Amino acid sequence: MSAKIDPITRSVVQHRLSSIVKEMGEAMLRTSYSQILNSSRDFSLAICDTDARLIAQADHLPVHVGALPWATIAVEERFKDIKPGDVILLNDPYHGGSHLPDVTVFVPVFADGKRLLWTIVRAHQSDIGGGTHGAYNPAATEIWQEGLRIPPIKLYDAGKLRDDLFDMLALNVRNPREFRGDLSAMLGAANLGERRLSRLFAEFGAPVVETAMEAILDATEQQTRAVVSTWKDGVFHGEAFLDDDGHGRSDIRIAAKVTKKGSDVEVDLSESDPQSTSFVNSSHANMQAAVAMAFAYLIDAEIPKNTGALRPLKVIAKQGTIVWADPGRPVTLCTSHPSNELVEAIVKALSASCPDRAMAGWSRRFRIAIQGEDPRSGKSFIWHLFQARPGGGASSGGDGWSSIGEWHSVGGLKFGSLEVAEVRFPLHFRTHEFRSGSGGDGQFRGGLGVSLDLVLETEKIAKGNTAGDGARHGPCGMLGGEDGQPHHYRLLSEGCEPRVLRTKEVGIELRPGDCLEVRSSGGGGWGPPEKRLAEARQRDREQGLTDVAAEQASS
Amino acid sequence: MMFRIGVDVGGTYTDLVATDESGRTVFAKSPSTPADQSLGVMAGLDELARRLNVSRADMLAATDRLVHGTTVATNALLERKGAKVALLTTEGHRDVVEMREGLKPDRYDLRSPPPAPLVPRELRFGVKERLRANGEVMIPLDATSLDDAIAGIRQSGAASVAVCFLHSYLNPVHELAAVERLRQALPDISISRSSDVLPQIKEYERVSTTIVNAYVEPIVRRYLTNLEARLTEAGFKGSLFVVLSHGGMAPVEEASRLAAGTVLSGPAGGMSGGRRCADLIGIADLVPFDMGGTSTDISLIAGGQASLSADGSLAGQRIALRSLDIASIAAGGGSIASVDTSRTLCVGPESAGSVPGPACYGNGGQAATVTDANVVLGYLDATAFMGGRRPLDRAASEAAVDRIAKAMDLSRIEAAAGIYRMINLNMADGIRLMTLRRGVDPRKFALLSFGGAAGLHAAEVARELEIKRIIVPTVASVLSAWGMLTSDLRYEISRTHYGAGRISADEVRELFAGLEQQAVGRMRSWFNGNIVIERSAEMRYGEQIFEIDVSLDGLDWNAADLVDRIEDRFHVRHEELYTYASRGQEVVFVNARIAAVGEVPRQNEGAREAAASGACSPRAARQAFLGGWREVPVYALDDLRPGHTLNGPAIIEAETTTVLVDTGDRVTVNPLGWLDISSR
Repeated sequence: MSAKIDPITRSVVQHRLSSIVKEMGEAMLRTSYSQILNSSRDFSLAICDTDARLIAQADHLPVHVGALPWATIAVEERFKDIKPGDVILLNDPYHGGSHLPDVTVFVPVFADGKRLLWTIVRAHQSDIGGGTHGAYNPAATEIWQEGLRIPPIKLYDAGKLRDDLFDMLALNVRNPREFRGDLSAMLGAANLGERRLSRLFAEFGAPVVETAMEAILDATEQQTRAVVSTWKDGVFHGEAFLDDDGHGRSDIRIAAKVTKKGSDVEVDLSESDPQSTSFVNSSHANMQAAVAMAFAYLIDAEIPKNTGALRPLKVIAKQGTIVWADPGRPVTLCTSHPSNELVEAIVKALSASCPDRAMAGWSRRFRIAIQGEDPRSGKSFIWHLFQARPGGGASSGGDGWSSIGEWHSVGGLKFGSLEVAEVRFPLHFRTHEFRSGSGGDGQFRGGLGVSLDLVLETEKIAKGNTAGDGARHGPCGMLGGEDGQPHHYRLLSEGCEPRVLRTKEVGIELRPGDCLEVRSSGGGGWGPPEKRLAEARQRDREQGLTDVAAEQASS
Repeated sequence: MMFRIGVDVGGTYTDLVATDESGRTVFAKSPSTPADQSLGVMAGLDELARRLNVSRADMLAATDRLVHGTTVATNALLERKGAKVALLTTEGHRDVVEMREGLKPDRYDLRSPPPAPLVPRELRFGVKERLRANGEVMIPLDATSLDDAIAGIRQSGAASVAVCFLHSYLNPVHELAAVERLRQALPDISISRSSDVLPQIKEYERVSTTIVNAYVEPIVRRYLTNLEARLTEAGFKGSLFVVLSHGGMAPVEEASRLAAGTVLSGPAGGMSGGRRCADLIGIADLVPFDMGGTSTDISLIAGGQASLSADGSLAGQRIALRSLDIASIAAGGGSIASVDTSRTLCVGPESAGSVPGPACYGNGGQAATVTDANVVLGYLDATAFMGGRRPLDRAASEAAVDRIAKAMDLSRIEAAAGIYRMINLNMADGIRLMTLRRGVDPRKFALLSFGGAAGLHAAEVARELEIKRIIVPTVASVLSAWGMLTSDLRYEISRTHYGAGRISADEVRELFAGLEQQAVGRMRSWFNGNIVIERSAEMRYGEQIFEIDVSLDGLDWNAADLVDRIEDRFHVRHEELYTYASRGQEVVFVNARIAAVGEVPRQNEGAREAAASGACSPRAARQAFLGGWREVPVYALDDLRPGHTLNGPAIIEAETTTVLVDTGDRVTVNPLGWLDISSR
């Protein structure tokens, strides 16, 4: 270990740091204004140092966290004159952001006049301007069509809000009220973190805390290396495919060549397909985050997810590919796609190295947004599909979780109450139950997706958009397990043939009484199906989880 | 002579307290009998009578009220030993409870399988029926489909049924019809109806709470009926009341009906005790800190009031009934210290429990626990533990702590001090998170230390939080049972407001008037005395999904601008909790809530102890580690009298607890004989 500090003080500081980010998360959850944050929890918190090293984070959305050091680099490069009371804001994917709707605030933490840390809050805004509501614009061919780009800017200058700037930001989004409310919550959480860290510095003295932080990162690195060194050495290959980019290209390949040697892991993504004209490209920061996420899933859950845990990991990628787009390309889908495929390709590759750790495929994201008028109030509404959560992958630990989510959210997105949704929107949730037969077969079965029949109780034509992937490629089976059923969404409209919805459509016409028949994907199975215990199959039958015939008869 | 008796059944001991109108207070402890808790209760009553110098029959005949905190429901849920439950629900929605709103606890743990729900899927029956969001019938209840489901339930052998249909909180018509039909077909089955248990919007919370109720109802009813019969047989003619999770008490029938509302019955007594302490010593802001062997319960009393929350869950099951806001942290005297692969010291959440217990118990425990660290540090006297009846094995503690020391390359004493530090940090963090959620500053609170292990840790936990005052009551070891004696009767009822746009003043008045009539009617059927009504509303800003519970007490109910005043309370509370208010933004009125409180007359409060007649002197001195080894005087709590003062460092020993007074802290013995410690 490089840093010298007594292990008790280190344990105490580590404990403090993690409780501080936890408190920031609690504050954020309770104060954020929009549904996407307070209900669906699409936000994350971290503490980074001025070298852009991740010191501590709260377990919210894994796909955010690995990206925050890159955002910190962008801030450090832009500003050399940070003062106490400054607040930095950014969202641009070509300046350390992941995609435009994820807005990040940074509050500097000083000790003895020296700037040492940042408290960071990243949160998904319900709108960020651009061509469609909610930023997911399948038609976009350049980033300017996706929304407002914010490079690192000072929102507060030495404690003073630059309200002219704030007004300009709020003017460029469709729901300024929510935007302001959520930003207040983000600032509140970041400031809370700053206050608590300042007290930590005051209590121990900055040098002690700094030494402790070094020691924490070193210890975490050691802990991670101890795990990795038990894996089999070798060069391993894994791949996963995007269904399409919505602009004519199909089966876009994400390729991972993973070299595991000793306690080091090198992930080379260079052989991935070229970039796309549409929003399925990844930004650089997001690609880094997705690789970190895959690695984090394979090591132990208890290991702190800080920079130390990522030191054994080296990432190689090529600009101009689907995983690292050239400046100006649209990227909004990237936090889910190709993130999900990146994780899958890497886990698949490493399944030959650490089979007991490699879990079968979790699901991909397939979203729908509906914009229309509520006949009960005459007011317009916008609704986002968070229901019908897809299935999780099975693993050596057992069957997968049902109705739980995607690789990038893993049980962190709450879909909320259907009763509340029916009060607030002219929608009738006729059915919302497990989709039997959707989980991939295997020694351990994949978790189930959900069957949702959603009826529009509108009186005028409404418009729908979709964004996502995974209607062709189901979550992958692992080590002999079978793939989960892919997503399958249809539009049922009286007098028309049922129409299968594609994952990247804009301006879908939805007539009063139309039914969206949503069948979300099940997770992948783990291990050969013939190894599944007879009792487990019997339980599945009793519970109606695998009865495909019944499902087909009912749909 | 007329007695009142409080009985708190804990995991290890059943505590009993009796008071009479002269203010005399007598305690007894008796081993708990988990298989049938009523046996331990009856044995405890024997012991109590013995200490009162009367026969049990005479004591019970002279007892007008017996207040009981029970862990029957808690244990059934924790140990998964409740009834076999079936669910009747809306067709197409039978997986709500297993979907858990799409959430999973640990983000980076992708290899642990999902927990099994209390009601497996084959026991969840969908029934053809549907209400609209405004409560109108969309699809009438289909008799054939209902009968099919009932046939399935009959066949399954379920002992209890939860009935929960979508939007039933607005209109229970289908649930009532289904219950009627169930009663005809299966007259012996226990039934929990969601529109009765929790008539509120949000189906996951409602169905989960109703299922928990169905799961524990048969066992709670059986137990309470049995206990009541035993008491009657033994000569008891008074009223038996059960403490509910919200801190009020209710008659046996009500506690059985709402059995899910008894899961925090025991700790709720501790809160009542805390509130009573706050009253007696005149401190309105108190953190009750109850540290035991495996866990520490913490809560807050702010402005003399305990706060209620509907966010609770137990054993992974969501229970959305309002209960006292008590956080249980896995940290206690038995918490095990370990060193992980990064050589970081962790203390808990694993506990050595009472078997094998800490290494020093000599029951085969090898792991170093917090208690072992306390022995090594000299805080606990190995020979005087439990009044010398259970000497501790100091060498075993040292050997256990040495293993930690070796793994971390530290000396024995450094390792022990580290364990002590980490456990205190865990508990301080728990308190800090709680104060954050409640929007209050811990520094203005006093710490109320009770439970066997609290006295050794209170000082440092207080210092972590910059709390300046610690109170150690003499009743510390039976605080819950003692507190139960001051519980009031309480009946809560709520209703969700449905409607687009802002609620009107007339709607508010009508909503509350209806609830009030119902609540007062129920309370009258239990009780003749004074009834006080508490009103509150759960509200949120437009798009938020978390509601805040805002007290409406003291509002002018006839004011023309009633709604403005209600919303103003909401803005103020939001700002208190979350640092900002968004005046001008839409405020949504979600749930109206009423509590009818039947105020029970109090008996003479804690009798004053005789004042000190001289200075107090220590009985002994021993070496304790306070940053360095020091000779520390040891006092017996029994020797301390009101008016005595002493300065830390000091150790104060009683039969069931030890209090560590840090260097510079000052102890004053208050008129009740309690320790009032001010920290430096």
